[in-house]
Amino acid sequence: MELVLRHAQQSMRPSQVAVVCQRAGLRYRWFALASLVTVGATGVLQLLRLDEAQLAARAGSPALSLADPYGRTVLLLAVLWLVLAAIWSVMAFWLHPGMHARFSAEMSKEQAQVERQRIGVQIRRMDRSLRTELAVALFALIVGATLRLGGIV
Amino acid sequence: MGLESINWQLLVYSVLHDLAIAVYIGGSVVMDFILGPAQQSIPPAQAQIMGQKTSDRFLVLVWVSLGVIVVTGFLRLQEKGFIVAEWPPFAGLLNWEFSYGRTVFVMFIIWVLLVVNGALITFVLRPRLLGRLGSGTSTRQVTTSMDSKLQAAQWVQWLTRTDMALAVLAALLGASLILGGLL
Repeated sequence: MELVLRHAQQSMRPSQVAVVCQRAGLRYRWFALASLVTVGATGVLQLLRLDEAQLAARAGSPALSLADPYGRTVLLLAVLWLVLAAIWSVMAFWLHPGMHARFSAEMSKEQAQVERQRIGVQIRRMDRSLRTELAVALFALIVGATLRLGGIV
Repeated sequence: MGLESINWQLLVYSVLHDLAIAVYIGGSVVMDFILGPAQQSIPPAQAQIMGQKTSDRFLVLVWVSLGVIVVTGFLRLQEKGFIVAEWPPFAGLLNWEFSYGRTVFVMFIIWVLLVVNGALITFVLRPRLLGRLGSGTSTRQVTTSMDSKLQAAQWVQWLTRTDMALAVLAALLGASLILGGLL
């Protein structure tokens, strides 16, 4: 979304950007939620199936404890998942509904201008949230990859 | 373990490899299921420009991802000692007799298929979709061109979905390697 839609938006009118963002955001939030739930559920299942003896047999003898880098890395991943869930909630329940334009025939020019500015602010907030979400997800990917090597924290 | 004992090279290769496959699959999902429907909510002329811009950018991501996938895949196998600088270059589990070797071989075949499909979309179908008509074009030529573009668009959609399915299969096979392979 960040790399593809942002590039295309530069050649579009602001009103069309708002419509496309609204439509794309509506679908994106369900895909994002499904991904978050899948990551959380499969992560918990993997953790439940983790055999402590098999884990200790790996190189470096990692252990699922806060005294060991492996355990601390798993905890950090759980925290990052919660941060992503929080960002998703902010986008789904506050920023995305706030992007709906509320124009009516009775509105004065000033009121319409205020409404346009409000939507512009919501779009900028949505952009920042999406970038934060992307950065946190990338960080989580790096942290997750270190588990194969015994953890990093 | 900890920071001091981590094999940083292997970590960098793993992260880039996983990131590239995530960009490939995630990008395909976004293009097909999110941006495609959103594009239909704006006027056709603007939708066409948006479609061209998003496809141009997506194709760059596809080729970069495919390049990163094969390079980091090779480097990971080399770092693990499965590819060596002598003949034959394959060592350890990287052999047809082992599930690990068969799984890696099938993953490589899938990568080749993704490259072939990517080349078909980039060099055959996209030029057909972008083809413009001159001012002296007859009605018959316009109809033929429109039919050709519609056919090309259908092929692009079909190939993109096939690629998505192949990439998901490759990700599944890749994940199975930690357990010794799937095939």
